[in-house]
Amino acid sequence: MILSATAGHPGFLSPTGVEIAFLLVGLATFGAAVVTVTTKQLVHAALWLVVALGGIAVEYLLLTAEFIAWVQVLIYVGSVVVLLLFGLMLTRAPIGRSPDADSGNRWMALGASVPAAGALVWVVVDAFRTTWIDLDGPAQGSTKASGEFLFRNWVLPFEALSVLLLAALVGAIVLSRKDRQDRKDRKDRKDRPDRSDGRTAGQVRPDTRARRTGPDRTERPAADREDNS
Amino acid sequence: MPPIPGSGLAKGLAVTLRTMTKRTVTAQYPDVQPELPPRTRGVIGLFEENCTVCMLCARECPDWCIYIDSHKETTPPAAPGGRERSRNVLDRFAIDFALCMYCGICIEVCPFDALFWSPEFEYAETDIHELTHERDKLREWMWTVPEPPALDPGAEEPKEIAAARKTADKLQAQEEREAQEAREARDAQGPAEDRSDRAAGQEGQE
Amino acid sequence: MNDVLDVALRLVIVFAVFMVVPLVVGQAEHKVMAHMQGRLGPMYAGGFHGWAQLVADGVKFAQKEDVVPADADRRIFQLAPAVALLPYLLVILAIPIGPSEGAVGQVIDAGIFFVLAVMGVGVLGSLMAGWASANKFSLLGGLRTAAQLLAYELPMLLAAASVAMAAGTVSLPGILNAFEWWWLPWQIVGALVFFVAGLAELQRPPFDMPVADSEIIFGAYTEYTGLRFALFLLAEYAGIVVLCGLTTVLFLGGWHGPFGEDGLGWVWTLLKTGVLAFVVIWLRVTYPRLREDQLQKLAWTTLIPLALAQIALTGIVKVAIN
Repeated sequence: MILSATAGHPGFLSPTGVEIAFLLVGLATFGAAVVTVTTKQLVHAALWLVVALGGIAVEYLLLTAEFIAWVQVLIYVGSVVVLLLFGLMLTRAPIGRSPDADSGNRWMALGASVPAAGALVWVVVDAFRTTWIDLDGPAQGSTKASGEFLFRNWVLPFEALSVLLLAALVGAIVLSRKDRQDRKDRKDRKDRPDRSDGRTAGQVRPDTRARRTGPDRTERPAADREDNS
Repeated sequence: MPPIPGSGLAKGLAVTLRTMTKRTVTAQYPDVQPELPPRTRGVIGLFEENCTVCMLCARECPDWCIYIDSHKETTPPAAPGGRERSRNVLDRFAIDFALCMYCGICIEVCPFDALFWSPEFEYAETDIHELTHERDKLREWMWTVPEPPALDPGAEEPKEIAAARKTADKLQAQEEREAQEAREARDAQGPAEDRSDRAAGQEGQE
Repeated sequence: MNDVLDVALRLVIVFAVFMVVPLVVGQAEHKVMAHMQGRLGPMYAGGFHGWAQLVADGVKFAQKEDVVPADADRRIFQLAPAVALLPYLLVILAIPIGPSEGAVGQVIDAGIFFVLAVMGVGVLGSLMAGWASANKFSLLGGLRTAAQLLAYELPMLLAAASVAMAAGTVSLPGILNAFEWWWLPWQIVGALVFFVAGLAELQRPPFDMPVADSEIIFGAYTEYTGLRFALFLLAEYAGIVVLCGLTTVLFLGGWHGPFGEDGLGWVWTLLKTGVLAFVVIWLRVTYPRLREDQLQKLAWTTLIPLALAQIALTGIVKVAIN
């Protein structure tokens, strides 16, 4: 969508304000990304990731791709990082350094990431080469332009992606359903009275009682909050 | 018929909205004095003229918050050669309102009507020792004791009024009897005086 | 130079609105809640019916010591209130209150996405506060915040998408320009879903699980004192203003009204926002807090299907009109 090349660009040696800002934000984003992968504090890594993703959103904004920028914030900062933090807090999120979180695969990770990054950079550079975006004209990344571009030229990849996501969704549902089926089987086996062994029946009872008084069955409205009235 | 889904939620909203349009029940106490019911248990007043130092109140108090000191005085015999009489004189009467639980048992048990409830309640202190009200302070509270509330219509007369009326009736009956006797004695003299005499008697009766 | 002045003036006005309107809502909450419970509420501060109570509260908060727990992650702990508050300031910038060009802080092309994205960022503040406090109640509050956000962001987005479909644009003034009165019944389900999900995202009662005081003290804000705590409270009330303003703009037609649209459109916007803020307070007074599982159940089994149904309805009507 930002491919509309314009003839006669000013060249690299007389940068405009937007270009300088783009470069500075890019450096900040890169720095945040580096800190994200090198910091020893797990939650700090997630929060630096927020900075990096926000920096990318700012870059989109500078390229007039407003819609993409806000979607970036909405999806990545608002949801993915929150999910990440949620996962961290649920499992382990110590305050301070956690040196045991280092898996020791540093060289292997480097070996995997450097070629991947190189390939991506090469693809992008090769694809756009000396294409310049006219920032002064009408916004080329507006919602309307993005929508038309996406649903005219790139419908097939878009639909393929949505099918992929649907498959992932169905897969997740199947996984969780299977888990429940397993539990039900186990419960059926437990509930079957075993007359030859009295201990089995005794073990079953606390389990069933716990289920009967589980959170689904009891309606217990809590008192209203009285904090700042 | 099952209730409409959400009708309970709507009912809750209606309740709060209705409450908002009603008068509030907040008592704006320091600005507006509360209207207390007549038998409010605020503080206990001592009518020490009635006290005979019988100690019933102090003994019945569940908290032991009433302190009474007294001594005996002997009064000379009323008639020469008679026995000397002894009398209890109150030296100290104090109620520790830091201990008192306002049960009112002392007031109930006082056989001589020396203790009364007063609706005054603003006697908070910064020092707990000052919550022990001594005799003079308790006497001061007596001025705040309200009149007893009027009896219900058709209620039995209070005992003291009934007794007074009985005495008055007796006295009147005796006077009438004397007047009757006087009239009978006068009847022999002339009937004219008798009529005016009876009219005067009726006025007096009313 | 004129442009700079214009921008500066707009920023100042938006900032003033941001500082004043949440306080008005807070004061209204004090009084409305009191009267709904048969009380009078604050009566002394400022003389007349305690109108200056929140100013007095602010002075009190400013005087308090700013305590950071010894084991806390200092920097994140101190940064969290700003992260919670600033997004709402940015959102207010984008809400149009009148039809003219001057009645909106900044026209943004993808307005809906902007406001929803930035509101989602505000919750990061609660998460940071919950984690950095080094307190298990705070951590629980942060967890609940995250779970609630994940559950309610989706129905909110879907309901907003329905309006965007109806208007054919994602710009907030654009939606208002396309508004017709019959959108009201058409989008009513979406409006309800949006409002309820927004309440949950703001952690307002009856969706205040993350700060449930009878269970986890005050959730993520347990360890906060003084001005930082006040900033969190201000963020909550600014959130109410933003949510009510957004619902007004997206579903209730903003400056459109039965009469006086041309000159007094902004009065309609403010009036609708005020009524919605009253409803927010009303709901808080009326309903008890939901339990955590009820909360999730409401989002996933009621609000999301309703929002999807609304989108389907919007699509059908849109196609039928065309």
